[in-house]
Amino acid sequence: MESGLLLHDAPLTAAREVARGMWVLSFEAPEVAATARAGQFVNLGLEGFLLRRPFSVYRAEGERIEVVLKAVGAGTQRLVSMRPGDVVSCLGPLGHGFDFGGRGSWKTAVLLSGGLGVAPMPLAARDARAAGLQVTWVHGARTADELCSESDGDDVIMATDDGTSGFAGTAVAAAPDADVILACGPNRMLAAVADRWPEAQAAVETYMGCGTGVCLGCAVPLARGGYDRACTEGPVYRAGDID
Amino acid sequence: MTLDMSVRLGGLSLHGPVLAASGTFGYGTEVPLLERRALGGMVSKGIFLKPRQGTPPPRIAETPSGMLNAIGLQGPGADALVRDYAPQWAKWDFPVLVNINGESAAEYGELTARLDGVPGVAGFEINISCPNVEQGGMYFGNDPRAAAAVTEAVRKRTRLPVWVKLTPMVSDIGVIARAVEAAGADALSAVNTFVGMSIDLNAYRPRLSFRTGGLSGPAIRPLAVHLAHQAARAVDIPVVGVGGIMTAEDALEFLVAGCSAVQVGTATFVNPNAIAEVHDGIAAFMAAKGFASLADLPRYLPRD
Repeated sequence: MESGLLLHDAPLTAAREVARGMWVLSFEAPEVAATARAGQFVNLGLEGFLLRRPFSVYRAEGERIEVVLKAVGAGTQRLVSMRPGDVVSCLGPLGHGFDFGGRGSWKTAVLLSGGLGVAPMPLAARDARAAGLQVTWVHGARTADELCSESDGDDVIMATDDGTSGFAGTAVAAAPDADVILACGPNRMLAAVADRWPEAQAAVETYMGCGTGVCLGCAVPLARGGYDRACTEGPVYRAGDID
Repeated sequence: MTLDMSVRLGGLSLHGPVLAASGTFGYGTEVPLLERRALGGMVSKGIFLKPRQGTPPPRIAETPSGMLNAIGLQGPGADALVRDYAPQWAKWDFPVLVNINGESAAEYGELTARLDGVPGVAGFEINISCPNVEQGGMYFGNDPRAAAAVTEAVRKRTRLPVWVKLTPMVSDIGVIARAVEAAGADALSAVNTFVGMSIDLNAYRPRLSFRTGGLSGPAIRPLAVHLAHQAARAVDIPVVGVGGIMTAEDALEFLVAGCSAVQVGTATFVNPNAIAEVHDGIAAFMAAKGFASLADLPRYLPRD
């Protein structure tokens, strides 16, 4: 069957901490790096764990892809303790990513993220710049040391719930309007995004089984009723379409 | 030596003993990366007569060597299946059985009548074992009279092969197996998922919104091998083994334990090409042991 899907072993090449407990892991995965588009994800398999774990592609440069994560469970704990040369099984790129080409009239893009919602944003910035858009990042977190500071030289606005860095309040409240809003973060944040900009493109995080559309485990409730699959129809949705 | 991997069972000719299990392969139009030459057949995602939305998320949870799921038989209904999927199946070189569901024996019969004769539908797998629906499902599968009534209702509406997928949540699977055999089943699929529960210690509640889910994966394999073996000892119709098969060795355990074929399910979630790897591994085992055909594989199936 024709598809751009790839399944390879990918060795870890580097790791760096970009905020307290938030790690960017770099893997050698040349074919995925060459084809991944912003908002797409990889499903990583680890020895000793039955199911794969889905991660947005954070960056894709040369032979390498990056993902960003916090150690929240046994699987992510294993990932952050990996050494260079250790191997994961990488399935991807998966899902439908952000859309930059829809309208020629788009001039500005805001990349709005809360916490680990920064995951798809560096690739989104790359693809937005390539589409000729002026990019502004809005990073939100609970407190200053949980803010991911990477913004690749674009304009950046910081927002913290406790006011320890930048705007005191939510990333949504701190964000300017733009022709295209790309958002990723907790469900509560995405709901606020949908209230302010129903046309925004929101990348959801869900539990996921297969990543390839067959298990129906990653159900996303839709405003029109029913569910569809974050792995296949998503993970990027029109914000107003998510229930 | 030419290996004969073909199987005749339950009214169907399969070119290999490995089928895709219901609910793990969609309607067969997804699952990229699979080498389809290896597919003996496919059982569709379970379908009801009418469309169903399924259960709210979270629908899955990982457990040691397994996963719990409560999808709730989300599906587009019989009309959409006939319109969108069956025409594609009719062009494929392996048979597609439709996993059928209902809230009453009459509804199973009605669904069978709707699908019988539709090009692309090669047979039926009666699901009397889904743990994740409020009405029907597993209820039919743990009462021999109800199981037989559903099987009869389907049998009356079709001359196509009728397989019955059994639930493991019974005290004696042989009783159910004999009841559906007597009611006209051509083969049995043994077994569906086990009912399980997992608790979220941050939320102090079950990790699945449906509270319970069906446990699959390697965690259930020895349980499933035992139940498939018990079913095979109880009946004269073929048994298709299913439950936690990840490798060819796992599949061979079911075959030696008395099964005529196997279904691979959860493994496909992890490795989209799992079915082909299982098929090829069985072939390699047969070649190494000098068996020319699957019929030559010794079976451990003492009669009571």
